[in-house]
Amino acid sequence: MKSFFRMTYPYILWIAVFIVAPMFMILLYALTRSGNSTLTFQFTLENFGRFFSDATFMRVLLTSLRIALLTTVFCLLIGYPAAFFISRLKERSQTMMVLLLTLPMWINMLLKTYAWRGILLNFDLESEFKVFIGMVYDFLPYMIIQIHTSIAKLDGNLLTAAYDLGANKWKTFLKVILPLSVPGIISGITLVFLPAVSSFVIPKLLGGGDYVLIGNLIEIYFLTAGDWNFGSAISLIMALIIIASMWLTRKLDRNAQED
Amino acid sequence: MRKLIEFKNIVKSFDGQVVLKGVNLNIYENEFVTLLGPSGCGKTTLLRILGGFLEQDEGTVIFDGQCIDKVPPYKREINTVFQRYALFPHLNVYENIAFGLRIKKTGNDIIAQKVNRMLSLVNLEGFEKRNVTKLSGGQQQRVAIARALVNEPNVLLLDEPLGALDLKLRKEMQRELKRIQQEVGITFIFVTHDQEEALTMSDKIVVMREGEIEQIGTPLEIYNEPANAYVARFIGESNIMDGVMQADYRVRFNDKTFECTDFGFKQNEPVDVLIRPEDFDIVKPRDGVLRGTVKSVVFKGVHYELMVETQTGTSKTVKMNVVTQHDIVNEAAGEKISANDFYVDLDDLENKELTDRDFISIANAQAWDEDNRDISLTHVNHNIEKAPGVYSITFGTEKKTEVTVKVYVVHPEYVEDARHNIGISALDFFITPDEIKESMAISTDLKTWASAEAWNLQDDSSIEITDVKFDFDPAEITEGSYDITFSTRGMLYKVETTSAHEEGDRIGLSFGPDDIHVMHKEVAEA
Repeated sequence: MKSFFRMTYPYILWIAVFIVAPMFMILLYALTRSGNSTLTFQFTLENFGRFFSDATFMRVLLTSLRIALLTTVFCLLIGYPAAFFISRLKERSQTMMVLLLTLPMWINMLLKTYAWRGILLNFDLESEFKVFIGMVYDFLPYMIIQIHTSIAKLDGNLLTAAYDLGANKWKTFLKVILPLSVPGIISGITLVFLPAVSSFVIPKLLGGGDYVLIGNLIEIYFLTAGDWNFGSAISLIMALIIIASMWLTRKLDRNAQED
Repeated sequence: MRKLIEFKNIVKSFDGQVVLKGVNLNIYENEFVTLLGPSGCGKTTLLRILGGFLEQDEGTVIFDGQCIDKVPPYKREINTVFQRYALFPHLNVYENIAFGLRIKKTGNDIIAQKVNRMLSLVNLEGFEKRNVTKLSGGQQQRVAIARALVNEPNVLLLDEPLGALDLKLRKEMQRELKRIQQEVGITFIFVTHDQEEALTMSDKIVVMREGEIEQIGTPLEIYNEPANAYVARFIGESNIMDGVMQADYRVRFNDKTFECTDFGFKQNEPVDVLIRPEDFDIVKPRDGVLRGTVKSVVFKGVHYELMVETQTGTSKTVKMNVVTQHDIVNEAAGEKISANDFYVDLDDLENKELTDRDFISIANAQAWDEDNRDISLTHVNHNIEKAPGVYSITFGTEKKTEVTVKVYVVHPEYVEDARHNIGISALDFFITPDEIKESMAISTDLKTWASAEAWNLQDDSSIEITDVKFDFDPAEITEGSYDITFSTRGMLYKVETTSAHEEGDRIGLSFGPDDIHVMHKEVAEA
């Protein structure tokens, strides 16, 4: 057992160097003032104060959350029926459909987004709507695949049992299929909401210069303004919001299952 | 009793494979009916048609006077306990049982009342809040039964529900199911391949085979009066003998005529005769209706199971000549060679076109070099003619190391047993003591050496030689002549008894006319 444990050392080292250390750096940057020398740090909370006291930043945060939420809800609304109908098909057609759905995921997101930019150029639409279209297009497959997996592995005998107990097709769906596909819905939501809330390529390319989401904000402060401290603070706020939203969905899921 | 369900000429096939071949069956109120048969006999298909999960190709199902062919499963007053229970994993025990009532929008107070009644019926009080996936197999089974019964169906279908349980639990659930059925007083239709389950619980057993019903009757009728050899073999242990019905109440089998209680057969009709192993009484040989030798004894817990041979099979005795062969040594070439004298039967010589290779094998001719490595034999010369007599045959290697042995060509000697349609043949043979000592399976080798075979005189099909008798110790064999007797299986009876017997005991078997059950021969399928 001990020698087995020793085999994990390289991974622990990897995690320490490439995950824990950078995160610690972000934390350090977020909590300090710029112009630090190597040995003296000036700890401060003013980066956070600056973010929350400025109405512009708060507006960006709200916009980000709003569009991510909209994208997620819309993906769920299209994705669930799609996944359900795919799962009714014969096994071979199911494999085919899942393959077709995942096909766009093989293409680089930047390329796909540029393509959308070309298409949307001809239409006079609001920036936010363009970004919304791009996000739904990019993230929908994640939702469909997650939900399809959870419906496909459902025991067919349960449906037979529901019919046997007097449930018609609609009631069987509501009382058996839907509750049992909740885990798929939850992971679908997670897989769509997280990249949507922090995306910066899509808003940058489809939204035009005036449309800024929190991802773009972080990018600007790191790359354009060179203010790593404030950039890190925004990243940290973003991370906390994501953790909080994940915790919330898990909790909702658990409550739903205990009912 | 009122007729509740009527299957009329139900035909069903899957991918061209006919699973039900026109089944007609009536089921009455308050009956515990078992559909019994091996897997693939169509019993589950019939159940699923009744449940509405499959549609028959032809025929009609009448339920309570109404044709229900077009009624979807959720509108039928029938509930099912599924093979692997199919409990809803996202609901607890209480909600699983309440499922059907919630669909019907029953009030919460009534649901609580009914579910609690069901919980106590299946002995699961206090399990309301339990997660169904954490229950044992037997408990899941009870939940599944409660979930079906709470809807107060007219009929409960049970699709091999006890298959996944261990033996002890299965016996317990058998009693439970019977009790529950008697308590709720509705029709249970139970599907199983386990004959013991069927006998224990049913009011009526329907024995099925390849999509057809073989027999319908109470457990006692099915056991005591099986319609044919198939049913008799499927239910319980049985001895089934070929016999001839000489007249009403008179049947002949085992070369004797017996009184029996059966009648209504054609005169001299060939029949199957059944005697259950437990219906024999073991008596002194001279008091027995049949006399025989105990061939094997197996202890079965409460009783012993004996195999008793009342008639020996057809047999043939041959002479085994054990002689020491001296290897012929060719010093110049550094080789040794040996072969045995042998017998050949004239029939084989005329019909089988024996080759050099066959002679090498029959004579067991072999050659070795100084290092004991096998050398192939390159030539065989003989003067054998197709007439009885003594001839000689010479085997040799490339380096002219040779051995000559005698070949006895003899008339074939068959033993033909016309009464039992058995022919058996075997030939005398020569062998060395070493070959006997080295034999790993002496009976099998003796059959090979003597070319012993038995066959059916009518259709020439081969019959197994089950007995090889000899009175020497293979490890201590010396030169000389020995008798070997080969025989086919005689008349064997399986007998159950509580008294101990040993292999080789001579005993008498006694039974009365009502222990004999005569059945029509099954019509051979085209």
